[in-house]
Amino acid sequence: MEFRERDYGAEESAYSLPRVPAKNHPLFARSLPYQVDVTDNGKDDFCDPLRGLGANMAMHIGDVEDVQSTYNRKLSNEAALQLSEKEWASFKRSLMQKFSATKTVSISSMSDVIVKSGKAHDKSSTSMHLEELDDPQKIAEEDVKVITCQEYVSRLHELKDEICHAWQADDRVTSLKLSIKVARLLMDTSVLQFYPTLFVLVTDVMDMLGDLVWERIKRRAKYADDGTIICSLPENFKAIDVCPDAKETCNNWFCKIGSISELLPRIYSELAILHCWRFLHDQPCESLQRLVMMMRGLADPLASVYCHLYLVRCAQKLLPCDRGYLITCINDISIILMRIISGKETISRYSSGNKKLLISLIEPTIEWSVKCMFTYQWEIGNLFAELGLGGNLSESSQNPPCISIVLHHIIKELPAEIVSSDALEIVQLIESSKDFSFDQHLNYTLLGFKLCERRPQMDSVDAVLVKVFQAVSQYDSLDEYLKVVDAYLDIVLQYQMENYLTIILDGISKRASDKVVAESELGSLQSIFIKLLTHFNDLEDAFALNHFVEILDVMYGTSRNTVNMHILNKATRNGYIRDPTTIQLLFEISQALHDGIDFSSIKDDDNQQSARLISHFIQMVDYGTEMDRHLTFLVECRGAFGSINELKGTLVHSSNSLAIKAMKGTNKHVSFVKSCIAFSEVTIPSISAGIRQMNLYLETAEVALLGGLVSHTDGLIESAISSLQSLDITRGSQINVDVDGIISSIRKLCSLLIMVPGNPTEGIFYIPKSLLSLVTSDPGVTPRLRARTLCAIISLSATFSQNTLPYHVKNTEVMGNDILFFGDPSYNQELSSISSISVQNLVEGIQEEVYKAARGTMALEACNCIISSFKANPEISLICSRLMEIAKSCLNANDKYLRSTLNILDKHLACSRDACVVVV
Amino acid sequence: MSVVLKLSRSNRIYRSSEPVEGKIVTNLPSSISHQGIRLTVNGAVNMQVRGGTAGVIESLYGVIKPICIMNKNVEVRSSGKLGSGTTEIPFSVLLKQQGENSSERFYETFHGANISIQYLITVGIMRGYMHKSLSTTMEFIIESEKVNLLEAPISPEVVVFYITQDTQKHPLLPELLSGGFRVTGKISTQCALTEPLNGELIVEASAVPIRSIDIHLLRVESILTGEKYITETSLIQSTQIADGDVCRAMTIPIYVILPRLLTCPTNLAGPFSIEFQVSIVITFQSDLSKLYPKSDPRTPRLWLAMETLPLRLVRAK
Repeated sequence: MEFRERDYGAEESAYSLPRVPAKNHPLFARSLPYQVDVTDNGKDDFCDPLRGLGANMAMHIGDVEDVQSTYNRKLSNEAALQLSEKEWASFKRSLMQKFSATKTVSISSMSDVIVKSGKAHDKSSTSMHLEELDDPQKIAEEDVKVITCQEYVSRLHELKDEICHAWQADDRVTSLKLSIKVARLLMDTSVLQFYPTLFVLVTDVMDMLGDLVWERIKRRAKYADDGTIICSLPENFKAIDVCPDAKETCNNWFCKIGSISELLPRIYSELAILHCWRFLHDQPCESLQRLVMMMRGLADPLASVYCHLYLVRCAQKLLPCDRGYLITCINDISIILMRIISGKETISRYSSGNKKLLISLIEPTIEWSVKCMFTYQWEIGNLFAELGLGGNLSESSQNPPCISIVLHHIIKELPAEIVSSDALEIVQLIESSKDFSFDQHLNYTLLGFKLCERRPQMDSVDAVLVKVFQAVSQYDSLDEYLKVVDAYLDIVLQYQMENYLTIILDGISKRASDKVVAESELGSLQSIFIKLLTHFNDLEDAFALNHFVEILDVMYGTSRNTVNMHILNKATRNGYIRDPTTIQLLFEISQALHDGIDFSSIKDDDNQQSARLISHFIQMVDYGTEMDRHLTFLVECRGAFGSINELKGTLVHSSNSLAIKAMKGTNKHVSFVKSCIAFSEVTIPSISAGIRQMNLYLETAEVALLGGLVSHTDGLIESAISSLQSLDITRGSQINVDVDGIISSIRKLCSLLIMVPGNPTEGIFYIPKSLLSLVTSDPGVTPRLRARTLCAIISLSATFSQNTLPYHVKNTEVMGNDILFFGDPSYNQELSSISSISVQNLVEGIQEEVYKAARGTMALEACNCIISSFKANPEISLICSRLMEIAKSCLNANDKYLRSTLNILDKHLACSRDACVVVV
Repeated sequence: MSVVLKLSRSNRIYRSSEPVEGKIVTNLPSSISHQGIRLTVNGAVNMQVRGGTAGVIESLYGVIKPICIMNKNVEVRSSGKLGSGTTEIPFSVLLKQQGENSSERFYETFHGANISIQYLITVGIMRGYMHKSLSTTMEFIIESEKVNLLEAPISPEVVVFYITQDTQKHPLLPELLSGGFRVTGKISTQCALTEPLNGELIVEASAVPIRSIDIHLLRVESILTGEKYITETSLIQSTQIADGDVCRAMTIPIYVILPRLLTCPTNLAGPFSIEFQVSIVITFQSDLSKLYPKSDPRTPRLWLAMETLPLRLVRAK
């Protein structure tokens, strides 16, 4: 067998595709999409699903006033009603869920309607008034029964059915009486936790009654007694459209309800049929104000506020045109709260311990009322004054201070633009409201977040911040302090108020020192740090802030890791990190992050990410000309992050590139390169994955070769071979081993060997030989791995046989084998023997492959390799035809690879065909 | 076999100058012959004396001879036949004789404890000796003549009241006397029947917690027996306006819808009189009250404070 002579230069130019230099990097973004101002862009287009509807609704109402189009009005009315129905339903659900009831309820015997089953009520209506006077006096009887909530609820459902049945049986008096009894249940507030649930159940019954009455009167307005239609009452009817009979019936209902002796059931009943006022008046809202006033007679705070809630709910059905009643509602609720808070007056049942519970029970009613106030876009103008909150500061000192929980919900619902324009006023309100119903600092926090939504004018911001920070500076609690400053941080940063930033950081560090930071505080700290990090373009600016590092150090756990990851992410995003102090700091942060990794769950995404971030950081570190320092840094890293496997690879890469950098430098630091390579050499063995080890060895070997360190190269290549040997490449474990990866590494090794000068002491072809023996000696090696390795060895031998090697080391001190062994007969002889053994093994090995298709492809690969390596002669053509036989037997005749290989074979063997014929 | 009266107005309210109109509806399985269909309209003041300031002797007599307001008998159909199935016979009855001007005589309908003023219309179908005559009676309501009514709105007559431990004529709990209380307010003392009774009230101070504040609507019925009036005051309706120890210095509205039939314009007729009162009753929290669970709310008790004011009810246009 004779090696084919190759002219690599000519072949390259003949076969390679034409190349044109590209102007731009294909992955480099043409324009930076991040430059779009997200905050401004978002506001206009974004349709807030909650606010949007409110705005639309207001628009509809506006239309009505302008166009007076009944159609529109009908639409808007229905839409508004439907919306409020939905909201109310979900509010009720949340109310019941929020206060999941205790298991049992003790009920005083006044709730006889619950305990006893309903009696038949067949008394005449005239005796009804008198009978109501006989209602059992509630306080007189003290015996208390205990029933489970379940029973209570199911009894209420029964009652609802009873009322419904009675109504259908035209016994409307019974329906009303039972409904009144149901309403009376709400007088008993001793059930506390159960009260909201009770409220929902009772109001369900009352709503049903209200609807029944409404439908009845409507029917009376539409049809005469004998069923003839009087008028088709439009959806949006006026009182004048209603016939006198219907009005009479409606009036009777109000009279009947007016005769209920007890206050609370009377109010609930009137509220239930409140929308029936529409049959009597076009402006039925007047009664709202009266009803709110009447509720002042309810001394029990819980009963009173829930009654207010029902009023607000029922008023929605009237689509009221002014919010006066709501203002009174909220003011009255405030007064009730004030009583609870001050504790001046006796609210007998509620001990101080229960007050918190009481406030939490009251809160939903405030929430709903305030929400309703902002549902319609009424003029907000003098809202504060109406709520008794406003005026200037001197006046407000006379006014009672605002209840913080009420204020909270008002701020929550206020449109952002109002908050931003009246920010100073609101701050003053928050300042003056300091009671236990709601934590003051949370109101400051809420205001802060609201202000971020719509940024106010610079000067007012300043005034607000002065106030806020005055208040906040009084806080001893770190948690409260953090919550508030976190809310204002965005504003401080956006307006570049460095002085406040300093104050904030000072404040945090003062409060955080000498204490273990609690879980909730960690959350706020995390948020603060992330805001700071996002704000500063340059990480060094953030690090330069007072106490930044100090505060970072008080953090721990996952939030610390999160912040650390943010820092690293930020650090590595903007190019190389050159500042030594920054590097040191980041190193420490990485260390903290590393310490935080839980190695027991190595698959965890977070861990992976931290490892990636640390290695990215190591890659981005650049000490410039201080390469020794850089290498020391790498050594430190190796010590610090020993437990992260991926990182070692990065370290080796870094040290290798450092070596290359050193070589590129004007004066070559051979000793430095040596230490870099030594570092790599020492680091690689600790990497567990064999294939990675091998690749890193090869990489380092290449660097060493480039540096002219031939003996180092030899050693490294040997190590690579031995790590290959240590790989379990036998058939038994092929599932775990990436065969393709190994093959490509072996090919890489072979291509590297071309540049490595043969070592005369060990034997020039010591390495290819050991590779050869590795794949041939072990019968367990997979046929594919063996075949490809042998192909690589054959190609290597063929290349070595050339007079000029295709490439050389870019180092004049290292000479290639083509120079060292030019014309050496033993050199060529040895190559021939290696290659003939390889060819022999190759042909045999292919037949071992079990899978047909794979066998065919392997035969083609081998054939191609042999044709390109050897001169055509009968021996070669014999081998090739044998291989082609295998291929043909395994592959489809139309297979493209097969056909192109056949073509090449024909071309190459053309000259020696005659000889073939002779042999045959 | 039924006979039903159907009045032209579903609320059955008529004025004395107006004819009472309607239909007699008979529903018969087979046709019958009759000897005339007659309508009788009767209005009377019925009085009885019991309890109150009546003495033992008077109460023995009990019922006093009623005062007849009107009694009218009209033949709607002379004798004839009524077919089977539903037959409707319209009618119209004038209450007042023409030229008669005794509007005061037609008192408004009122159902009280001792006095009741009632107007009844009865239909009778005479069927000879062998058959039971068919009849049915229905009450209709008389309201004052529109021309005689006061121009609405009636002049508001509002009285300012204050209730303290010193204004009470009955003994009070010692803690009430020592702690003191003060409830002030105003309430209208003249009120149109169709309008609610309005007013307001403020609990200015009270050392003892309040349990309830109620507005009692009272009627004062007086009957002339012999030479003296026997007067009885009774409760018509009680309306709670405050439940529990309400907030001090808060205005609480008084809003009472007057019950129909149980009220009428204040009437000082001579042989009898119907007047009304409104009473503001403050109940204080007291363990003692539990011993008397069902006492008459008008009885002065140690834990009650009250203020009773005359209330003039009028019919306004």
